[in-house]
Amino acid sequence: MTIRDRALLEVVLLGAACGPLSVWLLANRQAYAAESLAHAMLPGLAIAAAAGAPLLLGGSAGVVVAALLIALAARDQRIGSETAIAVTVTGLFGLGALLAIDAETPLGDLLFGDLLGVSDGDLIAAAALAIVVPLTLAAVHRPLTVAAFAPALASRPARTQAALLALLAAAIVVAVQGLGNLLVLALLVAPGIAGRRAPRLPQQLVLAALIAAASGAAGVLASDRLGTAAGASVALVLVAAAGAGLRREPRRNVRRSPIEALSDRA
Amino acid sequence: MLVRAEHLQAGYAPGQPVVRGVEFAVAAGQAVAVLAPNGGGKTTLFRTLLGELPPLGGTFAVDGTIAAVHQHDHARLDFPVSALDVALMGAYGRTPWWRRIAGADRAAARAALDRVGLVDREGTHFGSLSGGQRRRVMIARAIVQDARILLLDEPFAGVDRASEERILTVLEDLAAEGRTLLIATHDVEQSRRWDRVLCLNGRQIAFGTPEETLTAPTLAATYGPELVVLREGRMGLTIQHHEH
Amino acid sequence: MAWLTDPLELEFMQRALLEVGLLAVPAGLLGTWVVLRRLAFFTHAAGSATFPGLVVAGPWGIPAQVAAFGAGLLYAGGLSGLTRRARLAPDAATGLLLVAALASGTILASDVYETGGGVDRLLFGTLLGLDDGDLALSGAVALLALAATAAIGRTWLAAGFDPGAARPLGVSALAGDAALLLVLGLAVVAVLPAVGALLVGTLLVLPAATARLVARTITELQLVAILLALVEGSGGLLLAYHLDLPPGPAIAVLGAGAFAVAGAARR
Repeated sequence: MTIRDRALLEVVLLGAACGPLSVWLLANRQAYAAESLAHAMLPGLAIAAAAGAPLLLGGSAGVVVAALLIALAARDQRIGSETAIAVTVTGLFGLGALLAIDAETPLGDLLFGDLLGVSDGDLIAAAALAIVVPLTLAAVHRPLTVAAFAPALASRPARTQAALLALLAAAIVVAVQGLGNLLVLALLVAPGIAGRRAPRLPQQLVLAALIAAASGAAGVLASDRLGTAAGASVALVLVAAAGAGLRREPRRNVRRSPIEALSDRA
Repeated sequence: MLVRAEHLQAGYAPGQPVVRGVEFAVAAGQAVAVLAPNGGGKTTLFRTLLGELPPLGGTFAVDGTIAAVHQHDHARLDFPVSALDVALMGAYGRTPWWRRIAGADRAAARAALDRVGLVDREGTHFGSLSGGQRRRVMIARAIVQDARILLLDEPFAGVDRASEERILTVLEDLAAEGRTLLIATHDVEQSRRWDRVLCLNGRQIAFGTPEETLTAPTLAATYGPELVVLREGRMGLTIQHHEH
Repeated sequence: MAWLTDPLELEFMQRALLEVGLLAVPAGLLGTWVVLRRLAFFTHAAGSATFPGLVVAGPWGIPAQVAAFGAGLLYAGGLSGLTRRARLAPDAATGLLLVAALASGTILASDVYETGGGVDRLLFGTLLGLDDGDLALSGAVALLALAATAAIGRTWLAAGFDPGAARPLGVSALAGDAALLLVLGLAVVAVLPAVGALLVGTLLVLPAATARLVARTITELQLVAILLALVEGSGGLLLAYHLDLPPGPAIAVLGAGAFAVAGAARR
């Protein structure tokens, strides 16, 4: 397989896995969690890169530590979870950048990915993700639906959230190799938005997977044609696909300050 | 007439009024009890009178500053502000941006807290106060605003007995000073002590003196299945639990 | 004490310290509202959103601050459009714009304008490249933050504390909040040279967050935040100098450390 074909395979597998995951992340309002976890795991990648260890290993450790610290921070009563998480993420991201300065793998690859340098191990991990994520989502489909649309009725909200976040963590660890920890968010947010075009949830899940895979492939092909960075090209195509999935909705009557609109849990 | 409404329709989306046909006029120094079931439109009406929502139809006129004391505390309890700081916010509207808050306003805020019985808690962190105490601080804030018209959305709901007595006294004093009060309440018996009663349930059911309005048919039309008739013909209500 | 005095003799370090000193003012005054009004994610995303602007500034011949501010305006406009017209949840919209900005910035940097190694400076800040324009902007933003706080700090307090009550109180929350976002946007642009597009939170969030843990009034919060920004900022610069690191990450680590210490002490 050529380098380009390997990259294509990687993004298609990632798209199939992250597409439906993205739908659920948005439905459960976890976009901030996705962004935070992706940024905060940088120290794990940096240490692995500095030590010459596999990034998958470092990434996994980084994500676990990040998740624990973020969960701890989110409990903060005094400042509020959003600020506490922001502090944790900024600190960890800064630490990661410090540690990565003299590493073997350039910092840019950690941040923006090295899609053309996909190894066999990465492909296997992506394939595993493409199997495990949809299967797990199917298994917890009912509790996820309840948690997203009728939260008061959820019977085991903590377990459902934990399952979703575990899948998020796994997806980040695997996708970080190709897209980098800054751009992986595209896979976790854009497909869910693009999938909104479909009328009902099961169709949205499938549409999101298809759009994610197709956008990924288009991104790789475009980057091959135009000579642009592969990971960033994939991210941009994903964002464009999300943009195409948006609709104009009628305006609400209430006049509100822009800052209050930002705090809204829509 | 300090507050007047004619054929008023209020709601959030054009063409979908939450309450319609609202028609009343209230003079200075009058207190009006506003009775409505949950979802009946009293909060929507209040928001419209405050200018937060544009009316969907009809007109209303408010002749003077208007202040509100809301039912649900949407204030940020984690903000590092004291009871005095919150009461003082009543003076913000009349202090132009290039001026500091006047000493007189600070004194007015203290006096207002005194009226609601909280002057010894003026330095307490607002979020640490009880629900009833916070309600009283909000009333103090409205007093500092020196508003001619006060809208109080269920000022007695979820409030301890001591606060309730205090609030009642303060409201009567405010009305005696010539201010107009609109008090949303579920307490039918308490409504009898006010000057007028306004009954709403998606539309205006009645407006008039307590004797005219607090009749069985009117209350039945207002509250429907929530109404319970006690012995001696006195009416009571079952309060439904609702989420906001 | 040589570790302290040696760098202070160098002209670029004096500049950097002056820069941080000036930036401490908006960091404290505006950071207070970032923390109280839950604008941390918004601010971080705004910083990252300036990245494409910074990349094209040189090749297009525009001052970096102007390009950065322009990119910031695009972000704000996009956010407004996505949340109000397309009814996207604010965090999803913010995330989408954030990643769009970073992706386009990368492509512009590596493939269109071939900025190469200079990208690190844009993302994480620099000790060396601070020019008079940066200092002037920081000074201006410091003055603006002071003036705005004096003039409409009350509005920000009332609107933040009880947004529903602002209008009946006679406080124009809409105008006040728009002004806050504008001044915040200028502050984001001002801190970019020192800490980089990816770490604007090191100055605009971390010091105020730590101050929040210990302050009991708004004024206390602001003063402590300014002080912390000064200490963390200068400490970070010294650390960056001695360890040959970019300043952004150094300040971040100090800031997070201070927060952790304050948090633990409060228990």
